[in-house]
Amino acid sequence: MKYMIMTFGSAEAGLAAKGKDWMLEMIQFMQNLDADLKKSGELVDGQGLADGSQAKTVRIKNGIPVATDGPFAESKESLVGYWIVDVESEARAIEIASGIVAFVKEPIEVRRVMDAPPEF
Amino acid sequence: MESRVEDLLRELAPQVLGALIRRHGQFDACEDAVQEALLAASLQWQEKGVPDNPKTWLVAVASRRLVDRWRSESARRRREEKAALLDLSGPGQSLDRDDTLALLFLCCHPSLSVPSQLALTLRAVGGLTTAAIAKAFLVPEATMAQRISRAKERIRNTGAHFELPPAPERAERLRVVLHVLYLVFNEGYMTSSGPELHRADLTAEAIRLARMLHQLMPQEGEVAGLLALMLLTDARRAARTDAAGSIVPLAEQRRELWSSAQIEEGVALLTRTLGTAPAGPYQLQAAIAAVHDQAPSAGETDWPQILALYEVLERVSPGPVVTLNRAVAVAMVDGPRAGLALLGTLDADERMAHTHRLEAVRAHLLEMAGDIDAARESYLRAARMTASLPEQRHLALRASRLG
Repeated sequence: MKYMIMTFGSAEAGLAAKGKDWMLEMIQFMQNLDADLKKSGELVDGQGLADGSQAKTVRIKNGIPVATDGPFAESKESLVGYWIVDVESEARAIEIASGIVAFVKEPIEVRRVMDAPPEF
Repeated sequence: MESRVEDLLRELAPQVLGALIRRHGQFDACEDAVQEALLAASLQWQEKGVPDNPKTWLVAVASRRLVDRWRSESARRRREEKAALLDLSGPGQSLDRDDTLALLFLCCHPSLSVPSQLALTLRAVGGLTTAAIAKAFLVPEATMAQRISRAKERIRNTGAHFELPPAPERAERLRVVLHVLYLVFNEGYMTSSGPELHRADLTAEAIRLARMLHQLMPQEGEVAGLLALMLLTDARRAARTDAAGSIVPLAEQRRELWSSAQIEEGVALLTRTLGTAPAGPYQLQAAIAAVHDQAPSAGETDWPQILALYEVLERVSPGPVVTLNRAVAVAMVDGPRAGLALLGTLDADERMAHTHRLEAVRAHLLEMAGDIDAARESYLRAARMTASLPEQRHLALRASRLG
């Protein structure tokens, strides 16, 4: 079963709040995590996203789609990175997420990818 | 020609691997060597034709690959090299039989995680390439390669042996093997999620492996039961989705699209097996599928018979999912309110708290009872809970139809 593990916020806010050393540690942590998930045969995909301030939001204005600068969400609610893992159980996905949360100290969302076969 | 060669290679794969392991004892290295030999064969045989003794050819080529690898690794394996080049004649039929079985038991070793059991079984017993398995499970090839190599490493570390499990463990180990084949089948069963063809291939592969296992263990009723269940379920494949890929529930399926050949084969299997020993859960589920498949129309389904079978199934293998299915049969025999009352007994069951199935069935029975508002609510709740995209769409559509 596949799960998406999502982190929110912005790199800039992290740097401001926790300092350069922490950022370096975090980069190392993320690289180790990716390597571990690759080694265990569980990593499907993982990407970091550009800062939310660089995003465009497309919405309907006067009946036509128009792109405007900036994310739709507050910066702390903006998706900043994700992993998709293929694991044996939800418990394993939560275990992976717990390792990340213990390090970044920010909430992380774990959500099932809808890849299950229907049951009838 | 092409597919005939592929079929032959996939059939020989576990026998060749078995022959190699018996000689050299290193499951992981042998498995890699066999994959290389299969690849070489699929290239050469298409062009030059199949050799007179294809198995001997494969064993020889795989052995040579093994030796090449050892040579490049170090010289200290010289002793094994010699052994590898001796006696290239293939073993007899009964050895092939035991080898394939031992291999299946090894790949479904209880120390492996379920995803690893599936991947390893498809590669070592099914003879599928890592790329094909990765495609079927929608993960990158590197991920699947790593999963397979980890599984082999784990087998090495746990000291699991290439042999038939001892008699006291046999039944429990066979249960794991059957469960793995059942999961492979389920992965492929519904073609709407993911690229259709690849998932359908998994279903065909599960049936092929179950058929092989049945030939190896014809006396095991549950093996026959699992094969029958797969055939009787897969028989409905063409009718299970409409042109747009949406789910068509059993009662609304066009039965002329069902595969009568598969139904006949499944029923014949069951007829031979049922009554020879106490029926296990796969045989009982297959018997239920057979009752559905043999009804000329949904309205003519023999629900009392299905209810009786669910009652036996619940005694043999009790669990909330069986109770849930029995509730549907109760509703068809004694009316929706009786079914809903039985469902109520599952509300407090922790095991049902996170699945959509309870709500989906409740919605259906509420709709039958004419309680439209409550049915709609239940359909929507079920739609929120399911992890299957086509099923979510189906449930949401049911709800909207009642809107």
